[in-house]
Amino acid sequence: MRLKAVCALAACAAGVTGAASLHAQSPQGHGIAGFWSMAPGPTPPRRAATPVEAELIKQLREGAVLLADAGATEFPPGDYGGLNVKASLREAAKSYDPENQTDVSLTCRPPGVIYSMQGPFPIEIFEGRDLVVIKLEYFDLVRIVFMNETEHPDDWPHSQTGHSIGRWDGETLVVDTAKLSPGTLFNNGVDYTENVHLLERFRVADANTLIVTQQFEDSGSFEGTASRIMSFRRGDDHVYPYDCDPTYGLAIESRQRPDKE
Amino acid sequence: MILRLCLFSMLLGAGAAFAHHSAPVFYKVEERITVSGTVTEFRFSNPHAILKFDVVAADGEKQQWTAETTSPSILRRRGWSQASFEPGDKVKLEGMPSQDGSYLMRITRAFREDGTEIGIPAGTNN
Repeated sequence: MRLKAVCALAACAAGVTGAASLHAQSPQGHGIAGFWSMAPGPTPPRRAATPVEAELIKQLREGAVLLADAGATEFPPGDYGGLNVKASLREAAKSYDPENQTDVSLTCRPPGVIYSMQGPFPIEIFEGRDLVVIKLEYFDLVRIVFMNETEHPDDWPHSQTGHSIGRWDGETLVVDTAKLSPGTLFNNGVDYTENVHLLERFRVADANTLIVTQQFEDSGSFEGTASRIMSFRRGDDHVYPYDCDPTYGLAIESRQRPDKE
Repeated sequence: MILRLCLFSMLLGAGAAFAHHSAPVFYKVEERITVSGTVTEFRFSNPHAILKFDVVAADGEKQQWTAETTSPSILRRRGWSQASFEPGDKVKLEGMPSQDGSYLMRITRAFREDGTEIGIPAGTNN
């Protein structure tokens, strides 16, 4: 039964079905369906929070570090946004070579959803009764949120999208994700482990604004709780295929350098 | 030909998208250069489009430049496409210079020979 529902919504997410009707809300819908692009400009803590953002920030675990890298901003090497990253991982990160990002074998490897959800790319949400599907433009990632399940199956394989279960808390969609493969925390050399646990809240602040928080914990890579807040704006659009080209980096590697005397 | 080199203040969050393939690794993200030349190749695919172009420097040196863009997915919504550049087009490109001094840049704005801007700048339509 679950498989059928996944296939139906996944097919819609892939654009197989006419998309306009997919964004129409069912009578019991929460207004979350549709195309959302990241709002320009900073989010908290780089600016003051709006009332809805402040409410969602209050719901983060006490003491959670609110990271200031949501959107296009990235922390430079060695900067972990105030998060107490394990010393061994900090040390290992010193030998991280970011030029590898253009390697043919790595260029199209998608980051995990924790990193991908805060990047400056659009998302498209399809809301059903038993499933919510979140399609990311970034690396064509597709997330399935099981609204009719309450536990993460022990035998679920780890992946960059993991296993997500959701519930509605009033008008807030709460998504709990586990079974994530190790993935980058900040794109600067430190990965979380496969035991990372992600909790997200999605709240439509007004007809055109979606606020998303992410809260994640992983005692294998850092102490305490990390969090981010993102603001999305509704658009009349769909996410495009990403269709990553792994050879892009070859052009960078073959760049000409000035002749030296 | 490098027409001018100028420093701009960094506009966090409003600039190019540099999520997975980190721009600061290759580019001086707070600096801007303007380079003019003739397009030899344009590939409009994710994660970043690549524009190759020839430049003749003031001293007559022929340089082969490589220019990288933000994600084509994002650029499509700013009016870019595979047809934005054809070999032989004369262009003027603004962008970030490379960290290592190579003939590599990250495009922030692009103009045709007559001054017409290609697409619209980041933030204009959002």
